[in-house]
Amino acid sequence: MADLFNNLYVGFAAIMSVQNVFLCFVGCLLGTLIGVLPGIGPLATIAILMPLTYNAEPIGSLIMLAGIYYGSQYGGSTTAILVNMPGETSSLVTTFDGHAMAKQGRAGKALGIAAIGSFIAGTFATFVIAGTAIPLSKLALSFTAGNYFALMVLGLALAIVLAGGSVVKAVCTLIIGIVMALIGADQITAEPRLTFGLQILYDGFDIAIVSMGLFGIAEILRNLEFPEQKPFVGAVTGGLLPDREDIKQSAGAIARGSVLGSIIGIIPGNGATLSSFVSYALEKALSKRPERFGKGAIEGVAGPESANNAAAQTTFIPLLTLGLPSTAVMALVGGAMTLHGVVPGPQVITKHPDLFWGVVSSMWVGNLMLVVINLPLIGIWVKFLKVPYHLLFPTIVLFCCIGIYSVNSRPSDVLEVAAFGALGYLFYKLRFELAPLLLGLVLGSMLEDNLRRGLILSNGNVWTFLSEPLTLALLTAAFLALGSALVPSFSKGRELLVDED
Amino acid sequence: MTSHHTKPQQTVVPRFERVDVIGGALMVFIAALIWFGASALDGGTLVRIGSGALPRGLAVLLFVAGAAVLVQGLLQGNDRAERVYLAVRPSAIVLAAIVLFGLFIRGGNFGLFSTPQLGLIIVGPLTVFIAGSATPEMDLKSLIVLSFGLTAAMLLIFMDLLSVTIPVFPKFIQDPLTFAIGIDALVRIAYVAYAAIAAVLYVFFFGLPEMRRG
Repeated sequence: MADLFNNLYVGFAAIMSVQNVFLCFVGCLLGTLIGVLPGIGPLATIAILMPLTYNAEPIGSLIMLAGIYYGSQYGGSTTAILVNMPGETSSLVTTFDGHAMAKQGRAGKALGIAAIGSFIAGTFATFVIAGTAIPLSKLALSFTAGNYFALMVLGLALAIVLAGGSVVKAVCTLIIGIVMALIGADQITAEPRLTFGLQILYDGFDIAIVSMGLFGIAEILRNLEFPEQKPFVGAVTGGLLPDREDIKQSAGAIARGSVLGSIIGIIPGNGATLSSFVSYALEKALSKRPERFGKGAIEGVAGPESANNAAAQTTFIPLLTLGLPSTAVMALVGGAMTLHGVVPGPQVITKHPDLFWGVVSSMWVGNLMLVVINLPLIGIWVKFLKVPYHLLFPTIVLFCCIGIYSVNSRPSDVLEVAAFGALGYLFYKLRFELAPLLLGLVLGSMLEDNLRRGLILSNGNVWTFLSEPLTLALLTAAFLALGSALVPSFSKGRELLVDED
Repeated sequence: MTSHHTKPQQTVVPRFERVDVIGGALMVFIAALIWFGASALDGGTLVRIGSGALPRGLAVLLFVAGAAVLVQGLLQGNDRAERVYLAVRPSAIVLAAIVLFGLFIRGGNFGLFSTPQLGLIIVGPLTVFIAGSATPEMDLKSLIVLSFGLTAAMLLIFMDLLSVTIPVFPKFIQDPLTFAIGIDALVRIAYVAYAAIAAVLYVFFFGLPEMRRG
C-alpha cells in the first residue's frame, strides 16, 4: 500500500509541470470539442488529433492522448443526453434515461451526475490500475514466448467476439491487419516482404496514417451520404448539481458501476460498451421501481456513465502491463508509444517509471479536469453541437491533411490517407468491422516474433508447444470464445449489443 | 439477374450486387494477392520459420473466411440480402481534395510524374473548396469565405502555435521573398491577409453580423 502511494507520488511529480498539465488540459478540451461534434466518435477523434501529440515529449504526448480519449468519451455522453445521439456505442445506454431527463427539463442534472459519476469511477479505476500494474507486469515477465503468443491469440479472439458485426468478417479484417503488419522489411532478415517492388511499402504502414484514413476520413465519407439533419438542441435547463435526493439515488449505482466497469474494462473487446449495458441491466434489476427506467431515472445515467468511464480507463491495463492493446483505441495509444521509442509491455514500469506512473496519475488529473472545465463550459459545447456539418467536414479534411503531413513531411503520407479513406469507406459499406484490422496491425509483428521464438525454443515441435499447460489453456479459451460466437443464440446477444451503432 | 422467387413488394437484389458476395469476393482476391506476394519468400522450417510462412498461412485462412462470406452471400435468401450502395460522387470529391493536397503541398516526384510545390497558401483554399463542394448543402459564398478563413486559421495554429514547418508558398515566390523579409514575417503577413480577405468577403456576402468578434 505504501508502495502504491509512493508510486503515485512519482507519477504526480512527473506530470505536475506546467507543460504537462497544459497538455492534459488541451487534450481534454480538444477531445471534448471534437467528440461533441455530431457524427465523430472517439476513435475518429483520436485518429484525427493524434499528429498533434507528436511534437511533445513522450510523457506529455501520452498524457495529451489520454486526455483526448477521455474528452471524446465525455463529449459522447453530452450529445447522448442533449440530442439523443450517442457519439459512440458506450454512450448508447445514456440516451435511455439521460435524454428522458433532458426532456423533463433535468438536462443539467443528467450532465452533472454523469460527470460526477465518471470522476468517482475514474478515481477508483486509477487506483485499480496502480494496484494491479506491478503484479501483472511481474507475471508477464515470467511468460514464455509460447504463453505470449497464446495470450495474444486469446486477446484477439475475445476482441473479435465482443466487437460486434459478423465474426467471420471480423476474422477477415483481423487477418488483413496482421498481414499489413508483416509488409515491409522482415524483422530478422530485412528482406522485403509483400512489397510488390514498391519502395513506399518497404517502410511498412504507419499506424497514424492508417487510422486517420480508415476512421477519420472514412467517417466523413459515410456521413456525406445522408442529407444533413439539424440536431434539435434544447437549452440546458436546471442546475448542474444534483441535490441530496439525487445523490441518495445514484450513490449505489456509481459505486457498483465503478467496480463493474473496472473489471469488464480489462477484458479485451469493447469493455466500455459492454460495461455500460451490464450496469444498466444491473441497476434496473436492483431497483425497487424498475418501471422508472427509460423515463428519466437518474440511476440509469449514473451507473452506466460511471461504468463506461472506469472501463475506458482499465482498458489501459493490458496495454501498459502486457503490451497487448485490447481495443482499437489502445492500439492507437500503443502505436503512439512505440513512435516515441517506448515499447509497450511489462518492461515499461521498470525502464520508464516516471512515464508509467505519470500516465497513470494523469488519468486522475484528466478526469478532474473534465469535471472542472467541462461543466462550466457546457453552454459552449451546446453551441458546437449546432455547427452545421457542411462547414465542419471541409475543416476536418484540411486539418487532417496538414496534421498528417506535419508528422513526417512526406507528401506520400497524405496520398496514403486518401487511399485508406477510400478503403475504410468500402469496407464499411461491405459491413466489415475495421477495429480488428487496427489491432492486427499493431500486434502482427509481435505475434510473429513470439511464434518464431516459441518454435525455436520447442525445437519446432508444435506438440510440445501445445503441451505447455498455460499455452494450451489460453489457446483452448480462444478457440472456445470464437466457437461460442458462432452459436446462434449467443450471436443474437452480440447483435443486440452493437446493433445501434 | 437470376430468377429466384420473391415476395411481391420486395425488390430483388441480384447476387452480384449483394454486400456479402462482393465483400467475400474481395477477401478471396486479397488472399490471392497475399499468396502471390509471399510465393517468392522462404517458408523455412518449423524450427526456424521463414519470412513467407506466416503470410502464406494467413492467406489460406483469409481465403477460407472470405469464401465462407462469399458462399453465404450467394445462398442467402432475398430478404436477408443487402445491396451494395456507394455514394461515389461525394466520396470521390473529398478524396480528390486530399490527393490534390498531397500532390502539390511540397510537390515532388511521384513515379510517373512530378509536381511543383504550391504551398499551403494555394493548396489550402483549394482543398477546402473542392472538399466542401461534395455536398449540395454548401453554398458558394460560405465556401469561399471558409476557404480563406480556414487556411488563415491553420497557418496560425500549425506555424505559429505548434511551430510545425509546412511549405507555405510556391517555391518560386518563397525563395526570393524569404531572403528579403524572413519566413516568419512572411507567413504572418500571409495569414493576416487571408483572414482579412475572409472577413471582407463575409461582410460583402452576408452583411455585418450583429455581434462582431475578432
